[in-house]
Amino acid sequence: MFKNILLATSATKACDHAARVAFELAARFQSHVAVFHVLGVPSRGFSQMIVDVRTGESVPLDDDYKAWVTEEIKTYYENQIKSHKDTETNVAVGFPHREILRYARDNKTDLIVMGGSTEDPDLSGYKKIMAGTTLQRITKSAQCPVLIVNRPAASFWGGISSIVFGTDFSKASDVSFQYAKKIATSIDDAELHMFHSVDISSPHAGLSLSQEEIEDQLREARAKMRKRYVSQLKGFNNYSIDVWEGLPYVEIVKYAREKQADLIIMSHQARDVSPDKERLGSNMEQVIMRATCPVISINKHTSALNN
Amino acid sequence: MPEGTLCNKQPIQTEESLKTLLGDTSGVQYYKQMKELDVDQDLLWSTIKKTCKSRIRTWLEICAHCGMCAESCLYYLVNNRDPKQVPAYKIQSTLGEIIKRKGKVDNDFMHMAMKTAWAKCTCCNRCGLYCPNGIDMGVMMSYLRGLLYAQGFVPWELKIGAGMHRIYQAQMDVTNEDFVDTCEWMAEEYEEDYVGLHFPVDKEGADILYTINAREVKHYPEDLAEAAVLFHAAGEDWTITSKGWELTSLAMFAGDWEACKIQVDSVYDAIERLKPKRMIGTECGHAHRATVVEGPYWAGREDGLPPVKCMHYVEWVAEALRTGKLQIDPDKRIKEYCTLQDSCNYVRNHGLKKITREIMGYMVEPGYFIDMDPNEEHNFCCGGGGGFNGIGLYRKERNIGLMAKRDQILKTGAKLVIAPCHNCWDAIRDLEEEYKIGIRWSFLKPLLIKMIKIPEHMQPKE
Repeated sequence: MFKNILLATSATKACDHAARVAFELAARFQSHVAVFHVLGVPSRGFSQMIVDVRTGESVPLDDDYKAWVTEEIKTYYENQIKSHKDTETNVAVGFPHREILRYARDNKTDLIVMGGSTEDPDLSGYKKIMAGTTLQRITKSAQCPVLIVNRPAASFWGGISSIVFGTDFSKASDVSFQYAKKIATSIDDAELHMFHSVDISSPHAGLSLSQEEIEDQLREARAKMRKRYVSQLKGFNNYSIDVWEGLPYVEIVKYAREKQADLIIMSHQARDVSPDKERLGSNMEQVIMRATCPVISINKHTSALNN
Repeated sequence: MPEGTLCNKQPIQTEESLKTLLGDTSGVQYYKQMKELDVDQDLLWSTIKKTCKSRIRTWLEICAHCGMCAESCLYYLVNNRDPKQVPAYKIQSTLGEIIKRKGKVDNDFMHMAMKTAWAKCTCCNRCGLYCPNGIDMGVMMSYLRGLLYAQGFVPWELKIGAGMHRIYQAQMDVTNEDFVDTCEWMAEEYEEDYVGLHFPVDKEGADILYTINAREVKHYPEDLAEAAVLFHAAGEDWTITSKGWELTSLAMFAGDWEACKIQVDSVYDAIERLKPKRMIGTECGHAHRATVVEGPYWAGREDGLPPVKCMHYVEWVAEALRTGKLQIDPDKRIKEYCTLQDSCNYVRNHGLKKITREIMGYMVEPGYFIDMDPNEEHNFCCGGGGGFNGIGLYRKERNIGLMAKRDQILKTGAKLVIAPCHNCWDAIRDLEEEYKIGIRWSFLKPLLIKMIKIPEHMQPKE
């Protein structure tokens, strides 16, 4: 599990917490770490000019420039690389989401780790070129789990022990469950908290559900969770199941806070990367934005673990 | 120094020499060597004698120097009506002069001619439309580029671009394996959203052979996926080819006539091998001109036509919408002010102006489409055509040229510019970066995907 971690980084502060999480996980799972940086977006038609994603400057691309940026990245992560020998550093040119996905596919990455958005619209040259954000596109299309550390506070310092698995009962959620179970069972004293939120926000549920209807749904969901997930937890007793009602992303963030979660695992369902909605489209994106711990996103492309 | 190691009269023949040239950042050494490059005057004159046929000779002869072409040229207009930007002057002072002097021109002259051919003209052929004698300076400028290329006087990026076609039969270092693998990757990525999506490869006798621009493979393969989704949704019997899939030709921009033929032969070979009923190319203007309009002549085809009927992507889109193969959900039509960039290469030079407007009629809510002024065959070049977009040496001149398109777009008030051409798309992107006028720009495919009705069988079950 997580033998091949890809740390996709801008090598700026925005990714510092993601880097810490990536190396922390790598130490725990004895993983290979590929530090990967997309240094520039191609511009000017077929020319060799690129826009450097960190400086926003147009620079002519050549091997020297690539080597220079690679060295810079290595220097930036000097301490981590020193203590985790099994690390390599690569740079590429292209649209960040596409090159990260390409690298992950070519190198059989089994976990992509990313920081949150840089927030600075002037810094991210690629946003002007293609609508939607890197994060959105990667969580939608990656063929492996994606771990995002968005908020500076959102990173574990003392390892993982409390894991929250959020389910919407989709197929992707079944895969998420397998990951959650695998991580929980491979860590001593880990707790696994399984959670579902009945969506009572309009327009999904109509304007008003009666309290009886809500309670019926809560009961149903609990039964479903027992049948689908608890039945698979043979020998692992340190779990809980909860079903709340509300606005799903709010509930899961609240739940994670209550359980002092170190990690949230949930599935990503969004179909479209909408330029108009920016990144506030799905529950997943909302959770990523708000949670105080790292979030693992699992989409429908992620295949199930072999048990 | 007669011939430089990087800048010389030899075309790129090996991958190694291509990489060496690429390694010369921004062409610094290349241009330095160009300053020393000898002009082979005998070769120049003998080439002219062999290739400069009666049409161009007549055009040069009958030009009345009336200046009617001046206002037709966007570079004349945006450069404060500089007389040196009058199309007739530009061609008479270069090609005309070379012929007058029977090829006896020097290195300085060739530098001036190179700048004129690549930084003062995009071969958009607009001036030809306004000349009372029907003289097409764009055609002559393309010819001049060929003479300059053969002497080694060609911008660095275009020497590389032509070299790419010679080595990879593609405008970038994308191999046949890369292409097929990228298509497979896109099928993996999109098939759960669009059930049954796949890229048929090398299918013989399909209705449609789809050809593309290598940049789609290299940088935005979403475009390939979108093309597949649309063909699939329209129920087309289509295929890609594992060899000869590149529709574009930087060799044409470079004036590398031999590479033009190599490139177009590779596509025609694929057509002969797979025997599709028709070939449809991606949303690219110059690619259509190279492979469909001029290609048959380069390939030496007597009928002046490609081996099968070839259509530009916009023709297929119009057909699919007209016949109902693709259906647009009326609620999802574009409901914001938008405009359309007419690509010179398939609108002015291949007559597809009504087709693109027919498409706008289907895609845009009535009242929201605003034409640029001037438009259709009178439209101005985006400012990035003819290879201009990619040449670092002439960046400043290119950016000045973009002002014509900027002002046209601003006048429409539209915030969305639909640009079904790679070159135009790039230029409009660049003009936003340069002048920040607050616009978005798009190919047709991503817009269509959002508004068509996806057939039942393609919709995911869950």
